[in-house]
Amino acid sequence: MLTIENLTKVYDNGFKALDNINLEIPDGQFVAIIGLSGSGKSTLLRCINRLIDPTAGRIIWDGLDITAAGDDDLRQIRRRIGMIFQQFNLVKRSTVLTNVLSGRLGYINPLFSLVNYIPRAERERAMAALKRVGIADKAYNRASALSGGQQQRVGIARALMQQPELMLADEPVASLDPATSHSVMKYLEALNKEDGLTILCSLHFLSLARAYADRVIALKGGIVEFDGLPKDIDEERFKQIYGEEAVQVEIH
Amino acid sequence: MNQTSSRTAFRRLLMIIALAIGLVIFSYGWSVTQINLDRPQEAIRQQNAGNALRELLSPRIFDQDYDIQAATTSFLVSCPADGSTPGFENAAPTEGQPYIVVTPACAESNELVTVQGYNFYPDSLARMNWITTDGERRIRQIAGSTEDNFVTNDDGTFNVQIEVPRIRGSTGETHTIEAQGSFPKGAPRFSETSSLVLEKMVETVFLALIATTLSILPSAILSFFAAHNLMRPVRISLGNLLVGVVFLPVGWVLGSRLLGAIGLAGFHLGSGEAIVATAGAGTIFLFATAVSSQIQPSEKNVSRNWMRASLNKLLVSVGLVFVLGLLGGLGVLFGRQFDEGILGYLSNFIGSVGELIGLLMPLAAGVVGAFILSSIGTSFATDTLKKLDAVTARVLAAVLGAISGAIVLGVIAAIGMQAAWLGLLTPFIAALIAGSILPMLYDRFFASAAPNIPSARTVRQLLSWIGAAAAFMVTFSILSVGRTLIEGTLPPLTPAVEFSGIIIYVYVAEAMFIGAVLGGAASALSGLQATFPIGELLYNTTRTILNALRSIEPLIMGLVFVIWVGIGPFAGVLALTLHSIASLGKLFSEQIENIDSGPIEALQSTGANRLQTIMYAVVPQIVPPYIAFTMYRWDINVRMSTIIGFVGGGGVGFLLQQQINLLRYRDAGVAVLAIAIVVSVLDFASASIRERVT
Repeated sequence: MLTIENLTKVYDNGFKALDNINLEIPDGQFVAIIGLSGSGKSTLLRCINRLIDPTAGRIIWDGLDITAAGDDDLRQIRRRIGMIFQQFNLVKRSTVLTNVLSGRLGYINPLFSLVNYIPRAERERAMAALKRVGIADKAYNRASALSGGQQQRVGIARALMQQPELMLADEPVASLDPATSHSVMKYLEALNKEDGLTILCSLHFLSLARAYADRVIALKGGIVEFDGLPKDIDEERFKQIYGEEAVQVEIH
Repeated sequence: MNQTSSRTAFRRLLMIIALAIGLVIFSYGWSVTQINLDRPQEAIRQQNAGNALRELLSPRIFDQDYDIQAATTSFLVSCPADGSTPGFENAAPTEGQPYIVVTPACAESNELVTVQGYNFYPDSLARMNWITTDGERRIRQIAGSTEDNFVTNDDGTFNVQIEVPRIRGSTGETHTIEAQGSFPKGAPRFSETSSLVLEKMVETVFLALIATTLSILPSAILSFFAAHNLMRPVRISLGNLLVGVVFLPVGWVLGSRLLGAIGLAGFHLGSGEAIVATAGAGTIFLFATAVSSQIQPSEKNVSRNWMRASLNKLLVSVGLVFVLGLLGGLGVLFGRQFDEGILGYLSNFIGSVGELIGLLMPLAAGVVGAFILSSIGTSFATDTLKKLDAVTARVLAAVLGAISGAIVLGVIAAIGMQAAWLGLLTPFIAALIAGSILPMLYDRFFASAAPNIPSARTVRQLLSWIGAAAAFMVTFSILSVGRTLIEGTLPPLTPAVEFSGIIIYVYVAEAMFIGAVLGGAASALSGLQATFPIGELLYNTTRTILNALRSIEPLIMGLVFVIWVGIGPFAGVLALTLHSIASLGKLFSEQIENIDSGPIEALQSTGANRLQTIMYAVVPQIVPPYIAFTMYRWDINVRMSTIIGFVGGGGVGFLLQQQINLLRYRDAGVAVLAIAIVVSVLDFASASIRERVT
């Protein structure tokens, strides 16, 4: 269970990205977070693993107070929360395998990283993760040599190395073409259905949310505008979330 | 409409005024730099410059041996009054031997006489000498030439005119005219200058290589501290910082005494008993690996045990220092083994490194001790400080702040005692601390209701400046920094406290008192839970030091190092290393600031710690630019090392300067040519390597 209480984030320049958010997300749910750019989707996701420190409020997950955790505790919590990004955030010059292995660092003795030593078992785990996302043959290519969809799958494999219980996906398909988008979303769906991961995924397209999510949370100006089932978003709700001039676009 | 056109006119007027001002500034510069068009037109200067240039462009690369043949004849300076011709008993010319005929056989000074030569080497260099009665030989340039030598005809004859020299009291004396012919003997060979320049050029290239290599590691480490994107997010709670600062000197003393002793024990063991030492190092390595794999982060839930973590840190530091000492000792041992050949060079090098480790051991142990104890103290404080009640926390904050402030200002004042201008550091740091006090007081008593309105921000800014200025002036006058600055003398060495070999001078004690007052007040007001931007502080400090070092030319650094280690390439190595560290540190840090921050965010989200994030997200991105900039710096260092010799820093520059001072431009030309070749080859090499890695 992930509980978010009165979460508020005000940036240094005075911009209020999140305004008193309250949410409860049970384990195993696939949650899509939708909203316009600047509505607070990324800030909300980043507050959950404290890549951004919230200004006020609490986030409790699995009985742990994430907002109050010190450095060491925070690292212990973070390694159980996977995250994938819109820009994939891979080290482009490193090999695919190295990128995937770097997802395991939270579990590896920090002194090992000084000499770049990775235990053999971890390499095997990384190859297994790559096999799962279907690009084991690319393990020794440079990350920059892969297509966008493949890079995002490397990102998923990296997150898998953490053996996460919660997966945060920040616009995972916004840089991809429609066909590739569906393939990446299918991998997330598989993680949710087969491994029982809780997934929080921010999306631009409502059609993707309708296709994959159990629940949709719509943010507007840092406030929860809608929280419910995907099928409950009708034309009126849609205009509330995206503004009067918006038109629904289907992505196939 | 009208308004816009008048505004355009005004803008145009401003532009014209700016141009006029620019012109005036430029003209002033023209006269300051003493640009003078008359001097380059003077004939004698043109001729001198032409000669020097011609010699520079005719470098003495080769030397040639010559066969010299000579023929002489006698000559009477000023003819006899009776008009007779002097009859000299010149030896009759032998067949095939060179001889000369001078007509007339007598003449006044400054008159031209004709010299005809026969049987000389054809088509080769010859010269005329005038030999006086006392045997002094002077070269006579032939009429219409400014060269000493002339070329004989292809049948071995010549017909030249020379002027009778004006020599005081020579009237009526019989002088000798000599013609010397010369013919190349054997093949030309490299001149002595060439081999000297070659030797110095090798020295130059290696000087640059060693300086560049030595600077890589320090500048790479410094570059991380000078990278704003890495350092800005680094914050620490004030309580942890203060505990850390308080533990630093304790750790320093304990480290340099206890750890230093362990390290030196390793050193002596290593330099005495190689087998025992290797076995010892192996055991320690295995032990350390076993221990550190035991202390893994526990699997799921957070069970922090700082006792265990501290023990781990302590063991690691003891092992580290001991192994370092052992390695140093082994190096010294190896250094004694060989004297000659490749192994000789190796053993000399490794021996020096070992010796250096031995010398630096107490220092290194002190630093390690300080940081280990301070980090143990900090992790202890993280748990403990949160449990305190408000009043105790406030009092503790004041006490810790006072001690920390005293330590910081004490250290700064100790540095300030070394040179007059460094004395300014103490009031400056005091001002930095004091700048935070008044705004915090203001927040506490007046502005707690509306902390973020713009006017409150202005007031805070103003108060900060007032507090800082006041603290600066008070510290400045208490420590009489002004007097030191004007007189150039250092603060008096009056001991205030003395215990177990550590002396605290009155000057330092005063600074410590100021630090205690300011630090106590500041931390009592802000409280232990306040966050302190330690990263920003480290960033600014590193940047300031790098910029200051970079602005000092290596030639000037070379001057100081020549005084310290004597004339020679070692001084040049030190000067170039120091400058390269500053310069590469800046360039490297800019590369870090340019990296893609995405992977850093990604690795943080996986639970990697700061070191791991740097190793896996930052390092792969900066390796290619680091290699490129290191090559570029080597290129620069080669160019700089060619002139570092001007101040005695070794390399070809010293030779070049000597030759220029002796007006031996042809020899200087060899050095200039060698520099040009090496610099352009390296320029090409570094450019192509840079292209390949990026």
